[in-house]
Amino acid sequence: MFRRFAAIALSALLVATPGSAHKVIESGSPAKILNGAILVKPQSRWNRLQQRAGTFQEVWTIDGDRLNKIVFYAGVPVGQPLLRERSKKRDPLPKVAANMLLPDIPVLLERTYRTQYGLAIMSIGKQEPATLGGQPAIAFQYSFIDPDFEVETKGEAVAVMLKGKLYLVAFEAPSTFYFDRDVAKFRELTRTVTLSGA
Amino acid sequence: MKRPLLLAALAVAASATVPADAVDKLGTLAPYTPAYEPQGVDERGMWMMADEVEKLLAVSELRIGDEELNRYVERVLCDTVGSDRCAGVRVHILNIPAFNATMYPNGAMTVWSGLLLRVRSEAELGAVLGHEFAHFEMRHSLRGFEQRRKATDALAWLSVLGGFTQANTTSSQFSILSSVFQFNRAQETEADLQGLRYLAQSPYPSRAASEVWQHLMEEADATAAGRKLKRTDSYRAGFFDTHPTELSRASYLLDQALVYGDAGDGRSKDYYAAMKKHLPKFLADQVKLNDLNGTDYILNGIAGTTGWTGELLHARAEMFAARGNPRDLVTATTLYLQAVESGYRSPETVRGLGLSLVKSGKRSEGAKYLEEYLAALPEAPDASIIKLYVSQ
Repeated sequence: MFRRFAAIALSALLVATPGSAHKVIESGSPAKILNGAILVKPQSRWNRLQQRAGTFQEVWTIDGDRLNKIVFYAGVPVGQPLLRERSKKRDPLPKVAANMLLPDIPVLLERTYRTQYGLAIMSIGKQEPATLGGQPAIAFQYSFIDPDFEVETKGEAVAVMLKGKLYLVAFEAPSTFYFDRDVAKFRELTRTVTLSGA
Repeated sequence: MKRPLLLAALAVAASATVPADAVDKLGTLAPYTPAYEPQGVDERGMWMMADEVEKLLAVSELRIGDEELNRYVERVLCDTVGSDRCAGVRVHILNIPAFNATMYPNGAMTVWSGLLLRVRSEAELGAVLGHEFAHFEMRHSLRGFEQRRKATDALAWLSVLGGFTQANTTSSQFSILSSVFQFNRAQETEADLQGLRYLAQSPYPSRAASEVWQHLMEEADATAAGRKLKRTDSYRAGFFDTHPTELSRASYLLDQALVYGDAGDGRSKDYYAAMKKHLPKFLADQVKLNDLNGTDYILNGIAGTTGWTGELLHARAEMFAARGNPRDLVTATTLYLQAVESGYRSPETVRGLGLSLVKSGKRSEGAKYLEEYLAALPEAPDASIIKLYVSQ
């Protein structure tokens, strides 16, 4: 009986201890995304989340995952999906393709989100030429409605296909308050991006 | 509160799947009581909660407010169940690309856009709407709630008494749990058969009800084939299944329809005429779901009635273009060209055609179509990025 109690107490302790769950990214210091696939030098303070929804993904936030986040897709190779598939066979996601053009990247993101998150409403807005890490890229805006709470999330992303790998950096936040408050920090950060494949 | 939990708790859904040996135990249609008011504390509580959900539905971002479409679906419901019965129902059409409809105890019904994309006639739509209405008329939400409460009460008492008497109650608990799901499946069968009775008395042929489930099975087979999965047809429902299996439903609905032996016009052409305005949007949402074979089955089903229209060819082209393998680009280019030749020269079609040609290495040919797209929609949100492929 005591042994069982001790095991439960230990588990509770493990759960309660944040340990190295998340890491603060200090303003002004260079940061490596996924072992240096992308390098950035943020000009504001962020928190790197431990949880990742994909092998090639890293998420930063200021106030929490649902309130404001930057999602880095760092060097997703051809044949791989953006996110981890719930089931490779039953719920496959669209894959990065070698012949993708810049206008195909927003379509890939939309198809991935609709399939993975069961989004019924998602739209891609303005798409413009841009640069990411000095490479010719696409900048685009998008929005979707969270099916659980019907909150509108706005997104802005910059992406490029470089040597058979997709690099995409996106900012997402609810359209109410958070997006407009924090999008400038994201735009500032994208200007500091260096791509390892460049 | 997480809305889907509330919705799931209240709604009786038609989605997917049946117990074998279903027998129509019901007599002829009972007289309908118009303007029914809930009786007792349980039912009044359920109606009150459903009223709250319906207020959210009315302002939901997912709602398709198009009056003409809403009136049309309501008309099909009234033609199926009769004008006296349908007066107690409010239909809310939701933009969700999956096959489903739900019924709330207060008479609110949701119909999902994925259902409208998949049914092929007014009769098939009427079959699903009639099934949902049967849940309402038979007070299934209330009966289901009462049965679940009794079962969970019994489970609680059993565990207490088992603790006192040191007796093993596992098998009894298992059996009670099983009864909850069995009861749910029995209600679904009851609603299926009641819905069939409405159809048999309507201008629509009751055989359409079985066809809905046959088509869903065939779509699931197509999806499974595309994903190299095994087919899973079975008459026998699983322990936790809330609905009978699709095969079982298709089978007993066909048997009963043959007993009725009624005939009628399913009104396929009228159905697709009513959907014409919305079909491109429903197709676009389906195409983005990464299920090429399942979607191809749906497109073929529609083409069976309307022929391969420009809208269908465009949707099929988009599907192959999105997958984007070299042979897919050849197929996509051909389909876009066929859509254009059929007279469907929408800006989106020439854009897709232009990009497919560019990706296939035919830049100058592609650029011509992209120029046409930019001329048609100079203010398009992607105009400046598309210009990159015109000037190269």
